[in-house]
Amino acid sequence: MIEESVKSALGHLARLNLQGDVYGERSQKVTFSIMNGEIADSTEYEDMGLGIRVIKDGRIGFGYCVPGKERECILRAAELSRLSGTSGIILPEEQGICNVKTYDEKVRNALEDGMGSELCGNMIDAAVSTHKDIIPSHGGLFMGSGTRVIGNTNGIFLSQDFTAIAGGIAASIPGERTSLVASESKCSRRMDMDFEHLGTLAGDKVLSMKSKSENPSDKLPVVMTPHAMGMLLWFGLIPSFNGENVRKGKSVYQGRIDEKVAGENISIVDDPTRDWGMGSFPFDDEGVAASPIPLISQGYLRHYFYDLKEAASSDTISTGNGTRGSFKTPPQIGDRNIIITGKNHPVQQLTEGKVILVDGVMGAHTSSPASGDFSVVANPAWLVEDGVKLGRLDGLMLSGNLPGSLETMVLGDDYEKLYDTIGSMSIRMELPSIRLTDITHSG
Amino acid sequence: MDEKKLTLDVMDRGAVYCDIRKERWYSTVLNLKDGVPETIIQGEEEGAMTRVLYGNGWGYVGTADMSSLESAMDRAFMMAKNSDPLRKQKTGLAHVDPQHSKVIMPMKEDFRDISPEEKLDFLRDIEGHLKCDFVKSTDIRYRDTLVKKEIITGDGTHVEMEIPRTVTYMIITGKSDTVQMAVHGVGGTGGFEMSRSTYDHVDTVKDMLKNLLKAKSPPSGKLPVVMDPHLTGVFSHEAFGHAAEGDLVASGNSCLKGKIGEKVASDMVTIKDDPTMDGYGTFPFDDEGTKAKNRILVKDGVLNDFILDRENAWKLGMEPNGGARAEDFRVKPLVRMSNTILEPGDMHFEELIEGIDRGIYAKSTSGGQVSPAQGTFQFNAQVAFLIENGEITRPLRNVSFNGFTLETLQKIVGVSKDFETGVGHCGKGQSAPVTDGGANVLISQVTVGGRE
Repeated sequence: MIEESVKSALGHLARLNLQGDVYGERSQKVTFSIMNGEIADSTEYEDMGLGIRVIKDGRIGFGYCVPGKERECILRAAELSRLSGTSGIILPEEQGICNVKTYDEKVRNALEDGMGSELCGNMIDAAVSTHKDIIPSHGGLFMGSGTRVIGNTNGIFLSQDFTAIAGGIAASIPGERTSLVASESKCSRRMDMDFEHLGTLAGDKVLSMKSKSENPSDKLPVVMTPHAMGMLLWFGLIPSFNGENVRKGKSVYQGRIDEKVAGENISIVDDPTRDWGMGSFPFDDEGVAASPIPLISQGYLRHYFYDLKEAASSDTISTGNGTRGSFKTPPQIGDRNIIITGKNHPVQQLTEGKVILVDGVMGAHTSSPASGDFSVVANPAWLVEDGVKLGRLDGLMLSGNLPGSLETMVLGDDYEKLYDTIGSMSIRMELPSIRLTDITHSG
Repeated sequence: MDEKKLTLDVMDRGAVYCDIRKERWYSTVLNLKDGVPETIIQGEEEGAMTRVLYGNGWGYVGTADMSSLESAMDRAFMMAKNSDPLRKQKTGLAHVDPQHSKVIMPMKEDFRDISPEEKLDFLRDIEGHLKCDFVKSTDIRYRDTLVKKEIITGDGTHVEMEIPRTVTYMIITGKSDTVQMAVHGVGGTGGFEMSRSTYDHVDTVKDMLKNLLKAKSPPSGKLPVVMDPHLTGVFSHEAFGHAAEGDLVASGNSCLKGKIGEKVASDMVTIKDDPTMDGYGTFPFDDEGTKAKNRILVKDGVLNDFILDRENAWKLGMEPNGGARAEDFRVKPLVRMSNTILEPGDMHFEELIEGIDRGIYAKSTSGGQVSPAQGTFQFNAQVAFLIENGEITRPLRNVSFNGFTLETLQKIVGVSKDFETGVGHCGKGQSAPVTDGGANVLISQVTVGGRE
């Protein structure tokens, strides 16, 4: 049905002699909430809508609507377009689109068969069974399925189904004054997640927090797990590759293409063509064919990323990085599926000697997107010697600079997929644990 | 469709409770980047969320198709009925008197009467005031929303309300040795008049950027810190307010559980969360139809109340106080803050800093985060200053603090008579417009993170 609505809107655009594109999304979502050791409730929501971008005399107007209101939406967007500046935007034409796996029938079936409750229960039972003191204090499970459609007046009409499943659980050990809490979460596009294992990991993690170590006074290497590192990189480094930030001087990488900016083993690629990646899709939300974009290759800065509009402003071409938070928001530049590669070491090697192991950070969003400076609280964190957790560290603050850290970072081999949403933007990455040596810690 | 009959039918089928929350949203979003209109969006949408409690099981189903409200309600009923036998813990809803009311929150200047052109001209004028030699880039974001809500419950409440909100953010960037950015938001519950006062805050954001451009990294370690009213507001929201949310308390995820009547802060501390005062988080009824009330969370250092919806009030044996808020019709209501304020004291700012040999004066914020169960917090100042021998000396940047909430509240040793508020959006899986505010506050010792 959403395809028909997009076609209807394109028909209206043609009849009104307007240029533009139409993005449609239909999705079904089910969530289960965990509270105090059991499933507290479940929520279902089915959403459907259109985002219509009208280009009139090079000026862009945008509106959104539910199916059936396409014509009114187009007329409103056309009216608004006269207020915007001239953009020079050129909509894509038909291109070769690669195959990318984003849909798993098993997730769809699990969603329709109401399997979420059972999977969520498995996660809870596994966490509880790790120790009698553990309460799965909160968490949840999400399953979603849907279709994204993009069409434009240059003849593009693309549609792709997707699925997603995610689970997270926080295991807590109540104390006299406060509780110990550790959480574990994973996501996938496929029905390949082991929810029992997730519960066990959360339980084991909080148990490892029972003994406490003194915060170290000597400067030690810091090993970040994929979750901790992902949040820091997304807020403090990835914005520096955004073409608009580069053009406006808000990036440390402005004017530095082909300069060495990282250790010679380090590469960062935005690759939406990877099967089952959380941000993978064969085309972006403006209909531009997906391709891997090497941002840093072997330590050298190679590319920034662009959507159609910024490509026009920067006199270049779109890299397929037009993204939308939902049908209600116009396209904006966004990363799609960031992967850090390089010389990977067995993760055990990262914790050789005495190190600080950090599994989460509080305040990653306060990192400076322009400079990459950050000052966050490590939580949870442990003092580790030769791979053995000696005790948890409380209130440890970590400060540093992310672009600077690229020079000396060492990669593990324990890659994980990450997914989170921040406002209308999404974090979609695949990362291993990373060892950093230039972090100041205090507290 | 007769929604009242729909709720009564579900109650007749054995539900303990049910409700329907219908919403229609109108919004305008404008973004002026470096003088160029970047984003211009106008849109409207509607939908509804249905909730059913059957025994101890909840079912929530939302829909954007108003013609399918009956089937959504039926689906929620079946979900609740199926989940009831799986629940080990009992639940219920605290009683509230049924409400019948229609409240239209006023707009002195109705933003629907102001064209997008006029709004853009206003943003251009603000931009003109922001421009100067050290401001290299400007980004001004304006949003107005009007939501019309109707809440019908199975136990007799039927309320309607119209809530207009307006907010303008000024984001300016400059460059010295590194690129620095300053942000300030202005807004509230009301019409375009809320944005008119943006002019009064232009100098604030410019001063912040000017100081950031010459600022150095802060010292690290345990130091006395004076927070300005905006940072005090964020501290009250992040460090304390989240821990006072009834769902976290009832589920054992708050360091404040079981502490009503106990001393949790110094005598100087009174914190309220008040959805009835003027602010960005103001509303007449919450998203369960409960009348909004001022909650005095801490009175002279003693824990006095929590923020409560009906279910968590039932679990804790307390009175509901209108604490349920939902981002929109797609999601269930959660316990959320509204306008969170640390009440001013009677000291002058100079008295707060005069006894500090080496400390930090921290202004405004670029955000924060909290773990209510562990009772820990982290937040950043947008800009800060070193205090040396009782005097403010050089500016600092990338200043971050952390600590244990209950320890830190006890270390508040001075509260000034100044009072200011700021606007923001709180995230708890859903976004909620909120106001935070307070006075200048002296904390005797906080852990400061820095690279020196």
